[in-house]
Amino acid sequence: MTDAFALPTRFGTQALGGCYAPETLMQPLLDLEAAFCGALADPAFQAELKAELRQFVGRPTPLTPAPRLAEKLGLKALFLKREDLAHTGAHKINNALAQALLARRMGKTEVIAETGAGQHGVATAAACARLGLRCTVFMGVTDMARQAPNVARMRLFGATVEPVAAGQGTLKEAVNEALRAWAGRCTTAHYILGSALGPHPFPTLVRSFQTVIGEEARAQVLDQAGALPDAVVACAGGGSNGLGLLVPFLGDPLRRLAVEAGGHGRALGEHAARLDGGRLGVLHGCKTLLLQDEHGHTAETASVSAGLDYPALGPELAALVLDRKVEVRRASDDEALAAARLLCESEGILPALESSHALALLSALAAEGAATVLLGLSGRGDKDLSTYQSRLEC
Amino acid sequence: MALNPLLPFLMAGDPSLEALPGYLSEARALGLEALELGLPHSDPIADGPVLQAAAHRAIARGATPRRVLEALAGLTDSPDLILFTYLNPLLQLGVASLLRLLEPTPVRSLLVVDLPFGEEPEFEAALREAGYPMVPLLAPTTCLERAQALLGTRPDPGPDAPFAQRFAYVVARLGVTGAGQGTDLAPVLRRVDGLKAISNRPFAVGFGLSDPGSLQAVRALGATPVIGSALVAGLTSGSSIRTALSACLG
Repeated sequence: MTDAFALPTRFGTQALGGCYAPETLMQPLLDLEAAFCGALADPAFQAELKAELRQFVGRPTPLTPAPRLAEKLGLKALFLKREDLAHTGAHKINNALAQALLARRMGKTEVIAETGAGQHGVATAAACARLGLRCTVFMGVTDMARQAPNVARMRLFGATVEPVAAGQGTLKEAVNEALRAWAGRCTTAHYILGSALGPHPFPTLVRSFQTVIGEEARAQVLDQAGALPDAVVACAGGGSNGLGLLVPFLGDPLRRLAVEAGGHGRALGEHAARLDGGRLGVLHGCKTLLLQDEHGHTAETASVSAGLDYPALGPELAALVLDRKVEVRRASDDEALAAARLLCESEGILPALESSHALALLSALAAEGAATVLLGLSGRGDKDLSTYQSRLEC
Repeated sequence: MALNPLLPFLMAGDPSLEALPGYLSEARALGLEALELGLPHSDPIADGPVLQAAAHRAIARGATPRRVLEALAGLTDSPDLILFTYLNPLLQLGVASLLRLLEPTPVRSLLVVDLPFGEEPEFEAALREAGYPMVPLLAPTTCLERAQALLGTRPDPGPDAPFAQRFAYVVARLGVTGAGQGTDLAPVLRRVDGLKAISNRPFAVGFGLSDPGSLQAVRALGATPVIGSALVAGLTSGSSIRTALSACLG
């Protein structure tokens, strides 16, 4: 029945993605796709989104040259795309705001969201406060403990934060619970999925609201450096930041890299690196690269970074990787922490732990011959201060 | 209240795989024609707290998909089984292994919660051709026109086939399995009435039915009520199937 969707539901030669949803959610997903297509074709919606991105989110975000860090790493030039300077402190607001506008357009009165690091939850709570929508955010109890400032921020914005105690208490369980809640309230609530994951049309919808990152960055780097960089690099949890930065560079002759969480080891359960031991499977409504055991049960994951601590790579990013249009690398917890410290000391910028995984790849890129690199600094690190304090003894 | 018609649900491996043949034998002795058997999954997104907990207990005790199907091999003293599952464990087994494992069991059909028709056409066709049709699911958000199309994609094999291969599952309300006390039944009863006007196949109605009034109302329409979470909770506290079902039936 999914041939009733108007947009392509699959990605790449292995046909990843799809819409593996319970029947209760099928009509809401069809309705969502129709509303999304209608909004894209509506100049009034586009104008309002553009105005909000400028006046509320603070776009365009700057592209900041980082010469001292570049010199230390052996790069000729390094440019940071500063999503950390977007309102609420990460790229997540681009999608959350756009989907909140979509929810209002659909006549929904409530928004449901999941969050891992809390950045998507904070962004959604802020967008809902601005648009006058009721907001409920599901968050694993482990993540609530390690990202406590974001829990407080969501509550200040008037959102209800629902703790999820099941399993490891991280993003996967939060998505499970958000999907269950949406199935119960889908006639009145919109689910704002925060990553390029889930059943169609979510991966397409989230990517299309995030490519503003790469579109701006591409124009900015051409303006500032007069040429494209040798490599563009982003961290990848589900893939919204990775796709948002990398997709606008797909036609360019350069290296595109996504960095996964290497955690603290290479065994299943010690990391969230889906290309190391991940196999095609179905989780949360889409077919993609998935960390799982031999029985098809989702594997446990580990990362110092809550935003990367998820067992599946978004289907479009996974397809780009399998079709060799994007390279995937991994960075360990320790490498990410060291990279964060180096950016702080060199440039006076405190990165989120997620973004620090991308930073951790830079010395390897320099060693591999890259001279100029553009890096997506997906978020700011204030939420991670307690982790930095304990792990970096500062 | 009479036991039949009734479609009970058990979670395989909860409380143990060793107990499963005994439960199935008891269900058959009670005259139950068919039974839904849940394959425990790590991320049961359509299930409420009772079935989530049952699945996680079963997984912790080693109830893998392969072991569950092996435990069913050779069982004849059992109702027809409808394997209630999520897609990924089946995909990881692969069609060939899955069919080999299903062949000696009383499983007659599959209800795959997160597999809309058309998403895995070759997989579904291979299972159907081997005698394992997918049960169509109809939700409160499924309009009658869509329901008609869904029933056409997973057609009724006809009156000679057993109930397990013929019925369509009508989801009684929005949300997840279990915890349905106080559910307003009027909308689902109207839906079943509408469905009966477009199809002669049997209908089962589930999600949140556990009290005698709800069960009676579903039966009065000629449909079969499903008892899942309430039965699983009863078995967890040590009841027999008869005692647990009797408690629901009043």
